[in-house]
Amino acid sequence: MAGRRATTGLFLSPWILTFAAFGIFPIVFSFVLSFLRYDPLNPAGASFIAFENYARALRDRTFWQSLGNTAFFTIGTIPVTTAGAFLLAVALDRRLPARSLFRAGFFVPSVVSMVVISLIWKNLYAPFGALNAALDAFGLPEVAWLQNPKTALPAIMLMDVWASTGYYMLLFLAGLQSIPRELYEASALDGAGTWARVRHVTVPLLMPVTLFVVVINTIRSLQVFIEVFVMTRGGPMNSTLTTVFYLYDIGFFKFEMGYASAIAYLLFLLILGFSVLEMRTMRRRA
Amino acid sequence: MSPALGGARREGREAHAARDGGRRGGLAHALLLVALVAILLVSLYPLFWMFALALRVPGEAGWRLGFEHFESVWKSGPFDRYFLNSIWVAAWVVGANALLASMVGYALARRRFPGKRALLLGVLATLMVPRQVTMIPVYLLFAKMRWIDTYAALIVPFAVDAFNVFLMSQYIQTIPEELEDAARVDGAGDFGVFFRVVLPLARPALAVVAINTFLTNWNSFLYPLILTNSEKMRTLPVGLALYAQGEHSVDWGPLMAGSSLATIPILIVFLIFQRNIIAGITQGALKG
Repeated sequence: MAGRRATTGLFLSPWILTFAAFGIFPIVFSFVLSFLRYDPLNPAGASFIAFENYARALRDRTFWQSLGNTAFFTIGTIPVTTAGAFLLAVALDRRLPARSLFRAGFFVPSVVSMVVISLIWKNLYAPFGALNAALDAFGLPEVAWLQNPKTALPAIMLMDVWASTGYYMLLFLAGLQSIPRELYEASALDGAGTWARVRHVTVPLLMPVTLFVVVINTIRSLQVFIEVFVMTRGGPMNSTLTTVFYLYDIGFFKFEMGYASAIAYLLFLLILGFSVLEMRTMRRRA
Repeated sequence: MSPALGGARREGREAHAARDGGRRGGLAHALLLVALVAILLVSLYPLFWMFALALRVPGEAGWRLGFEHFESVWKSGPFDRYFLNSIWVAAWVVGANALLASMVGYALARRRFPGKRALLLGVLATLMVPRQVTMIPVYLLFAKMRWIDTYAALIVPFAVDAFNVFLMSQYIQTIPEELEDAARVDGAGDFGVFFRVVLPLARPALAVVAINTFLTNWNSFLYPLILTNSEKMRTLPVGLALYAQGEHSVDWGPLMAGSSLATIPILIVFLIFQRNIIAGITQGALKG
């Protein structure tokens, strides 16, 4: 019996060790850091400054701008991605020629590295790139997509919708396929048309999946980083500066790791707050 | 339900899909198909464009097809090094997860131990915390341990993924315990039971773990970015992103060749294991 307990401990040890080293330790340590002024090049000079990092963040206009950009990104992309994913899923949840080809084709962008996607779209958005060539072909004026502070963030958002819709489509498709067929038949017997069936059967029954999609997408969107790192590095004029890019810049270029930790914690609170809020409102509606 | 194990529910699905069959609405059906084909083209065009730019080299008639861009990044990038680093790291992370996540999953599925509930809740809670919160302490820890710019830094933090642990634990619960008892009666110890009975029977779940871990690790960016600082330690996504920042920022041919190198292995894995990947994602969603 003692031997059995020893192997249980042994089997669990990798998890307990990594949980301690990469779960608990960093969460606690970055909380401590958020109350310090800390430069990794000069760790001896660290000093306790209580809530000064948090107060500084609230005064920091660039931080607020990064939050504004991140919120714009999140609020702007999620309805489009969710609606697009839902419609594609409804379209594919029927007998269609080459259904699995469509499904795989829509999904494939989600397995490609975001670095690669960002580079391809940077080329498509380039002054002499394919998108401007298309605008030319229709006789429309060219757009300086990533160079113009007005269009840079929407351009990244458009790319993100392209890149992630297929993934959420798969989630909706799984939800649709779990709806019992009898429910549709029953509502058809009651004389419900296609639209009424979607509204009164599909939408309510998909509420849990929709909730999952929106929460996951919110968590991801609030952490937008790679797109900005590769395409614009926050520019032009901070128009694409997202909170995670700002935090990366503060932590790893300016080496103000205390301040960066405070920003990370504020972001974490936002993510947590939004997730809980979404779960509450959507549960109530379901 | 056993997770993600191929199209077990396939027939049900097809019957289900048949409800929309019927001759009624033939025009609407055709329009829908046209729209879907258009969306498919939009969905695939950027990837096609990547390969096109990578293979297009200057020639007499403006351009011709050739592998010169690939040759140039392979040697000068140095994408050969990035590629090997990516393969090496992914192999270790996949192997570590296959072994360690099954060990932990087995202990969770079969054993009672003090603090089990607390451990599970603790892990679930830390999963909620975004990587940006943990990256600075992990960076400082590794700096202290002189692990920055080593393979260990790229492998160890990812060696036991919690999702893989849960997946293995759920699958192992579906394996009849009598099989283990029988092996014990035949004189097998804990390790014998685990390696000779449990692991072979858990092969379908192991495949899901391996595929998912490979996909995630191959594209992993933030941690490899902050935990490496020399060219020879970069993985493909990091090497590519930094290559694109400097003097090569508009060398589209080489850039797209490097992008293709980072994408081809993923596409191969996707094409081979498409059904497992899709099933893995959708099963997770239904549980979530």
